[in-house]
Amino acid sequence: MRRLQTRFVLLFLIAIYSQVLLARDLQALPEFLRSDPFGAIVAPDRSGADLASSLYGAKHQVVLTGCRGGYVSFHLVVKLPSPSTYTLDVTIPDPTNKVQIDLFREWFHFTDSDKRYYPDALIPVHATYISRLPEPDNRITKQTAQAFWVDVYVASDTRLGIFSGTAKLKANSKITTLPIQLTVLACVIPGEDVVTIDHNSYGSSWLAQQFAGSYRRDPDQWFESNQFFELIHAYHRVFYEHRGIFHQLGYGHSGKVGPEFAPVLEGSGRAKHITSWSLYDRHYGPLLDGTAFSASRRVPRPIPFVYLPINPEWPASYEFWGERGYEAEFVNVVSEMERHFREKGWTHTNFEVFFNHKKRYKGFPWDGDEVRFPKDLKYFLEYDRLLKKALPPNTPVHFVFRADVSWDMEEQFKVLNGIVRLWCCGGGILSFYRHAPKMLCDRGDVVWYYGGPPGVTDSSSAITEFPLRAWLWGVNGYVHWLTVSPGEDPWFHFDGGQTALIYSGERFGVSEPIPSIRLKIQRNCLQDLALLDSLKRRKSLDSLRARAARSYNNSTLDDWWNSRPALADLPSDQWLGSAIDDATKHTHQALEHPGASAWYNVHQYAMSLQAEAK
Amino acid sequence: MKTVSLMGIFMFAILGIAKLSPEEAPSRMQKELDIAARVGSAMVDGDLCQKIVTQRARELMFARDPGDRFLAGDNYDVDDVAFNTVKKTLIRLSHLSSFPADVNLWMPIEGHPGRIQLVIRNKNEMSQFWNWGELYGDMVPEMETVLKTGQRVTVTDKPGWISVLAPVYNSLGDVVGLIETVSQVKMDAHENVK
Repeated sequence: MRRLQTRFVLLFLIAIYSQVLLARDLQALPEFLRSDPFGAIVAPDRSGADLASSLYGAKHQVVLTGCRGGYVSFHLVVKLPSPSTYTLDVTIPDPTNKVQIDLFREWFHFTDSDKRYYPDALIPVHATYISRLPEPDNRITKQTAQAFWVDVYVASDTRLGIFSGTAKLKANSKITTLPIQLTVLACVIPGEDVVTIDHNSYGSSWLAQQFAGSYRRDPDQWFESNQFFELIHAYHRVFYEHRGIFHQLGYGHSGKVGPEFAPVLEGSGRAKHITSWSLYDRHYGPLLDGTAFSASRRVPRPIPFVYLPINPEWPASYEFWGERGYEAEFVNVVSEMERHFREKGWTHTNFEVFFNHKKRYKGFPWDGDEVRFPKDLKYFLEYDRLLKKALPPNTPVHFVFRADVSWDMEEQFKVLNGIVRLWCCGGGILSFYRHAPKMLCDRGDVVWYYGGPPGVTDSSSAITEFPLRAWLWGVNGYVHWLTVSPGEDPWFHFDGGQTALIYSGERFGVSEPIPSIRLKIQRNCLQDLALLDSLKRRKSLDSLRARAARSYNNSTLDDWWNSRPALADLPSDQWLGSAIDDATKHTHQALEHPGASAWYNVHQYAMSLQAEAK
Repeated sequence: MKTVSLMGIFMFAILGIAKLSPEEAPSRMQKELDIAARVGSAMVDGDLCQKIVTQRARELMFARDPGDRFLAGDNYDVDDVAFNTVKKTLIRLSHLSSFPADVNLWMPIEGHPGRIQLVIRNKNEMSQFWNWGELYGDMVPEMETVLKTGQRVTVTDKPGWISVLAPVYNSLGDVVGLIETVSQVKMDAHENVK
């Protein structure tokens, strides 16, 4: 009885203490708890509300712990009950400048689907930020809270130990100071990721829409301007800074190629040849030699993967398909490309021969993407023949045949063995074939799976499911199929962000893309995965994976796979789409809605292993 | 005789338009597209066109399943030999214009009057009537006119766009489809690169 009383009193005190914390005008929250513009945790994150005071130490200071070579992140929330101006200042002084703070104001998007506000876009601001509440440009009449994302960057050669800093709020003649204590551990986050996270996009017309102000200044020349190419490079950079890669497909479903994605061709038949590399080299040169990343905090390096413009209509005209002229055009131009890449020294990038078209879009009579009808595979075999004819056998340039596969993947793994070397697999169907990742990786193939980003209305941890799944499955990466399309009005009528992890910075005077909270959480998750994987010499990979899965959502490794359904024994053109949904029910149910604290638990596990290692 | 007149048409198309002023462009473009459409009516094999879309694709084109929202698209299939043969003809027809143009094939859908489907598109990804991604759509009155009367019809409804619609005949002499010869006064190099 007495023990119960003591426990009750303790809980009561914790509750009171939490209220005090939450009532303060400057609050620190862990990265997984997003605030709304009125100071409450957004509904999808409330399952993790018990983390609210997890950043605070005994002396009410913000306690941060991190490895070197990466980021430690949290939210700061300014709360003012009535309209007022304020100044926020965040600092962790380090004379060696190895510890750096990046401060971002969180934009509150109004989502039409549930008529609520969610923070996501991150507007870079100075470490001393002066503004007022309600924030004028966000136009939320009764706004009483403004959230900030704080990234603390810890360079890989930072000294070990404790760094002290403060977050200081001046408002209504009152100064509130929140001490910050950063403990830098000995561990160094590996620079290489264990899973490649790709952010996909299509064409570049969307850039003119999202940077309309820039485009309108010179619409006739904009797509050939330095500004345009610098913008593309900035997109690659922001994803690279967040431990990801970026893809831009340069052709349409009927084979139209954007001018900046391909060299210029002239002639026909055996006379077809390249006449200019000008736009191509301006676009890709700095990406393929790595100079586009020279100012990065990460080691600058060439992009690891890039789409080629090759499609059934480029470089050979489909008019000649199956004839000598098609072969001549294809072989001559692809040979010229190989030579150009070799002479430029672009030998660190995988140049992807990838067919994205689908017959339902009426350009060609076979599916390049997600083959369903096995008869279509003969086209892949023919392109393999042409490609082999075009490329010198000992070329140092990495041309890689990529296929995005779903229905027919099991058959394609067999028929296209030795032809396709980069597999991008539909996650649902891949979950039937537990043996596949190892089988493919053992023969030297690269395996990714694909899906789309979670929306802002999902829990903050939802975005971590994809990298985690890739690591648990033993595949090499994951592709967000579209990540640069935030809709017509992401600021005041947001569609939720299931096709965007990044926004245009133009309305904030930033001539580049700006990141999102989801992208930051994904980056931090990738840091943890790299750390966990680096411990596989000390603990078995299986045990690391099993423990991470348990920490994440109390799942077992089996929960991440579905058993092979009966339909898998049928030819893929006899499958029903609805039957696939039935066959993936197990994982859907077992892994549905990870709570906001899911990744926090995995992070804690990773950090505890670092402590053990020490 | 037929060969000579076709060659004449060809020569006109090649030599007729070297450089056009912005004022001249639409009418001259219209003439060239009309020539290509006229030749297309003579050259495109309607029997072959009728073999392109498979029985399965036709049967499931209007099927609905709440548990499978991509049912129609996922079952869309074509006879690739017929498709390739007709597509090559359409590409060659597009060469009759001295500017970038596409020649698309449209087919009515048996049992679904008022609906029409685009069956073959081409490399400039131009059409005045196709809403990107749709498997089939509503037939515009001009298309209906072509299918009913066999007359060629020019459409310039969308600013800057010119399409000429022309009938495609099968061996019974029936109009079984139509071609759209199409171009834009000002091309957008980035449109539909997706």
